[in-house]
Amino acid sequence: MSEQMVTIPTTARVDQPVEGETSRSMPDQLGNVAGANSEELAERLDRTSGRDATEGPVKKAYIFWLSGMSCDGCTISTLGAEEPSLEELLNGALPGIPTVVLHHYALAMESGDHFTHAMEKAERGELDGPYIIVYEGSITDENLTLEGEPWAAEGSLPTWAPADQRRRISTPEWVRRLASGAAVSVAIGTCATWGGIPASDGNPTGAMSLMDFLGKDYRSACGLPVVNVPGCAPVGDNFTETVALLLLFLNGQVPLPDFDELGRPAWLFSETVHTRCPRGAWYEEGTFAHEYGEKECLAEIGCWGPVVNCNITERGAVGHMGGCMVAGGVCIGCTMPGFPDKFTPFYKRPPVTTPATLLSRLHGMFVRAPRRTSQLERNREPRWRRETPSGWAIGFDTTTVSHNVYEYFYHKLEYLRSEMPGRRKAVEKYRSGYLTPAEAAYGEDYFKMLPNERATEARRRGVPQRRGLSPQADGFDTPLEEEE
Amino acid sequence: MCFQNLPVEFDREGRARLREGAADPYAYRPREIDRSGIEELLRRNGHIKDVNLDPVTRVAGALAFHAVVDLEQRKVHEAHSIATLFRGYEVILKGRDPRDAMYISSRVCGVCGGVHSVASSLAIEMAFGIAPPPMGLALRNVQLALDFMVDNPLHLYLLAGPDFSQVVVERTNPSLWERAQKAEAAHANVHGFRTVADIMTALNPLTGKLYIEGLHMTRPAKEAYSILYGKYPHPQTVVPGGLSTTVDLSVLNETHNRMSRLIDYAKRGILLWEDLTGFFYEADARYKQVGTRPKNLIDTGVWDDPFAYDGTYANAPQWGERRWATPGVVIDGDLVTTNLHHLNMGLEEFVEHSYYEGWEDEGVRYRTDPAGNPISPNHPWNKETKPKPVHKRSWRERYTWDTAPRWDRQVVEGGCYARMWTTAAAGKLPHTRFVESTGTSLKLHAPKTKLPAMEFEWKIPEVWNAFERNRARAYHILYSMLVGYENLLLAFDLIKRGDTKVASPYEIPRDERVGVGFWGAGRGYLTHHLVIDKGILVNYQVLTPSTFNASPRDPWGNGGPYEEAVVNTPILEEFDRPEDFTGIDIFRAIRSFDPCMPCTTHVYDGRGDRVITQDVNTCACGIQ
Repeated sequence: MSEQMVTIPTTARVDQPVEGETSRSMPDQLGNVAGANSEELAERLDRTSGRDATEGPVKKAYIFWLSGMSCDGCTISTLGAEEPSLEELLNGALPGIPTVVLHHYALAMESGDHFTHAMEKAERGELDGPYIIVYEGSITDENLTLEGEPWAAEGSLPTWAPADQRRRISTPEWVRRLASGAAVSVAIGTCATWGGIPASDGNPTGAMSLMDFLGKDYRSACGLPVVNVPGCAPVGDNFTETVALLLLFLNGQVPLPDFDELGRPAWLFSETVHTRCPRGAWYEEGTFAHEYGEKECLAEIGCWGPVVNCNITERGAVGHMGGCMVAGGVCIGCTMPGFPDKFTPFYKRPPVTTPATLLSRLHGMFVRAPRRTSQLERNREPRWRRETPSGWAIGFDTTTVSHNVYEYFYHKLEYLRSEMPGRRKAVEKYRSGYLTPAEAAYGEDYFKMLPNERATEARRRGVPQRRGLSPQADGFDTPLEEEE
Repeated sequence: MCFQNLPVEFDREGRARLREGAADPYAYRPREIDRSGIEELLRRNGHIKDVNLDPVTRVAGALAFHAVVDLEQRKVHEAHSIATLFRGYEVILKGRDPRDAMYISSRVCGVCGGVHSVASSLAIEMAFGIAPPPMGLALRNVQLALDFMVDNPLHLYLLAGPDFSQVVVERTNPSLWERAQKAEAAHANVHGFRTVADIMTALNPLTGKLYIEGLHMTRPAKEAYSILYGKYPHPQTVVPGGLSTTVDLSVLNETHNRMSRLIDYAKRGILLWEDLTGFFYEADARYKQVGTRPKNLIDTGVWDDPFAYDGTYANAPQWGERRWATPGVVIDGDLVTTNLHHLNMGLEEFVEHSYYEGWEDEGVRYRTDPAGNPISPNHPWNKETKPKPVHKRSWRERYTWDTAPRWDRQVVEGGCYARMWTTAAAGKLPHTRFVESTGTSLKLHAPKTKLPAMEFEWKIPEVWNAFERNRARAYHILYSMLVGYENLLLAFDLIKRGDTKVASPYEIPRDERVGVGFWGAGRGYLTHHLVIDKGILVNYQVLTPSTFNASPRDPWGNGGPYEEAVVNTPILEEFDRPEDFTGIDIFRAIRSFDPCMPCTTHVYDGRGDRVITQDVNTCACGIQ
């Protein structure tokens, strides 16, 4: 078996009802394939594993994942997260973080009324712990569907009524029912945070964001406006980290994390993606990619990075790997409220790019050359004064006249308002002036020479050397001492 | 002659033309749906149960299902598949720059966004008259394999797997659970589970080893995907003309390592699903009827040969057959065509039972495709998306946001297994190192990883049902990883040759053009059809596997694949009282298709001061 597998010793037994279990008291068992809804299953797992050691007052927290006009991309991102991972949250594997009971249509064991029932319970305040709502996707304007079928719906109510007498419940209605009682409302992804593509120009559904829908005065039961984790799709770790910190906050373990003026986690979104971009330094030196696939800064082929709040180039996309510009993709601003209409058409130069990159080219002209000279010097050991012992770059040590002229000026300015690197020689190593026998025999300069120079120096001074140990000077066919 | 219902015939050279004599050749008369028998049954009630499942969980996206079930005779009389979400992507795309279509249409589905962006770029490239260079094509192939490597295990272990887990089987079929505890697993030496019951326990949600491992093993695939394409889902490096990935040996090495681990995982997965399927068949042969429906399947083929693909519609039949998965349509178990022109000509979409207005008033844009083959007024190049929420859902009238796409007016099913079926039956894989098509099976030669080198053979199944779908999906993981691996080796080879260009240059044409991207999702068939004029999109149509699979009745009253499969499903769960019926067999039938509703329902369709901390210091919300 793969060692990446996690072993959890518990097994859920479904044939033993747990106290207070609701799914068996529903009118029928349709859709209740495991004989327990996800909440009860989690409860049972919790009991069989003796997991009651969560630090803090909140042992358990519910998450209701509501999905409006979504592509499920945020769910998929979340499944890829590892800071923490979903399974760690759900299995109560992190002390201090309450065990999360996730009510998610893509993961729930139960379907139909048994699924809807938990949301009703939350609305009525019958849960034994606080709940968070996570909203994925844009919110439809169901006033536009008039008396018709909703644009987006999940389940029908009341659950006690026969099917033909029920009303199908649109996702905005679920938000309306659950948002005020939620400890926190989190919008995940650009659709839920700002509106995203379903709300872009030409849309027929009147789509909007969770914040638009709930308004400026909305506060959760904890007194928080909507928390927004944007991105299309968001970095999964950004979302699970935010949720984990909020849960730790609920449990009194950490202070409330910082959020910015739009409710974004400030520690993740206050800088631009360009600030953290590994290609950003190309911009600084005025070197730009002109074709897809080139390694330099992508600003001139459509990258919006310098004005986009995002951290994907630093954190990576999944498991700290990748990230748009890291791989070679331009930033299209998918974390921003203006996405997509303020960024389309894509692949065009963003505004102010041309003057800005022109200036950076000018700037680059001045800094690039001396940097390369300094870099070259730093690429040489002090011992390599006359030649470099690398067989990879045979012609590397030859310099041109113009290079020497350039070097002259370079050395004039090299250490301006800077310091000479290396050991300070003003102080003797030993106050007594002690020299090791080798230093006394070979002289101080010996240490700055390559082996063949050392052999010459030793012969000059008449110091005998071990035979065969300087292959550069003696050749590889000279036998070693002990082989005699 | 592959068409039985469309008014199309072929001349001696194989050129298609409309059958002569008909004034309005594609006209049809919708059939009234008669539910009087069902309604009478329901009135008498007794053991007839009106099953309303809203929502159906453990699928991607918003699906509801309705069925009328006879609990005494243990059969399903009627079934309706309901897509409960509309977003209007096709409407949003109108009037935009064609290049935006890739990033926007990617967001049609977050489970498999990458396949949409590539389908979109193929359509755009066809309209622009360009094709990506070999490195671009090879790495798009790797990308697709990685996409599948996320989708397929996600389905097998997180969505469908729990239906075969201990917690479910123990409750819905106690006698099966008894039996499973005694049933030795045939491949225990490879996968490590001694009995079938051990496998079922490992499939338990959240705690099961296979469930957790399924979650874990999608991550290396997502990582490799992020390394090469920026992020997962919704890749950032798919561009018109190829990719914008900066390719070097390091990123290919990081991909290589991850793919090798995934190949290892894929080998074990096949044997697990072999053991599980064998157990159910042996325990009760009626399980072969769960989710069964006619062997009618469709696939566009995927994974282009980087040295044969030219991106033109005219040569689509040729480059289509050079793909690592052969395009094709299977009707009643027979492969009737592998020609992408035929596949495209046969497409029609109907909205008689969906919340859309027909597009008769918009006129017919095209009577033929660019190669001169006749196409229907209901073809995606002619279709318009006109949403119209109706007052009340009616099983006789309209009940879903999905449309009814049909091929040759027949109900066809998309799936990763459809692609395996057409590839296995066609026998046209001349250029592959690890996969062999025999005409009746696909042979997979998996190289040594942690597990030794192994040979697998997926045979075209004799029965077609939910278990075969899942079993085939387990094979499909290895199949796609092997194709991906071969393309990665090809990328190494291209670097050796210095051929590292990843994209071709393009200009946006100002005249009217059409394009189609034939590509595939983790759950099968995928096409994007577009029309551009004056440099902007004037029509955009997406057809996904779940558009086909979740479709409602067509004008002739034939239900979509989910509906057919559920109607054919026997009720095998054990219960004494009608109210204890859970519907597990119906769920297994539906989930075996790997429903993915986001793309079905689209379809039609500065910095400020931190201000928040002010009045929030502690939290006391409902903790007591």
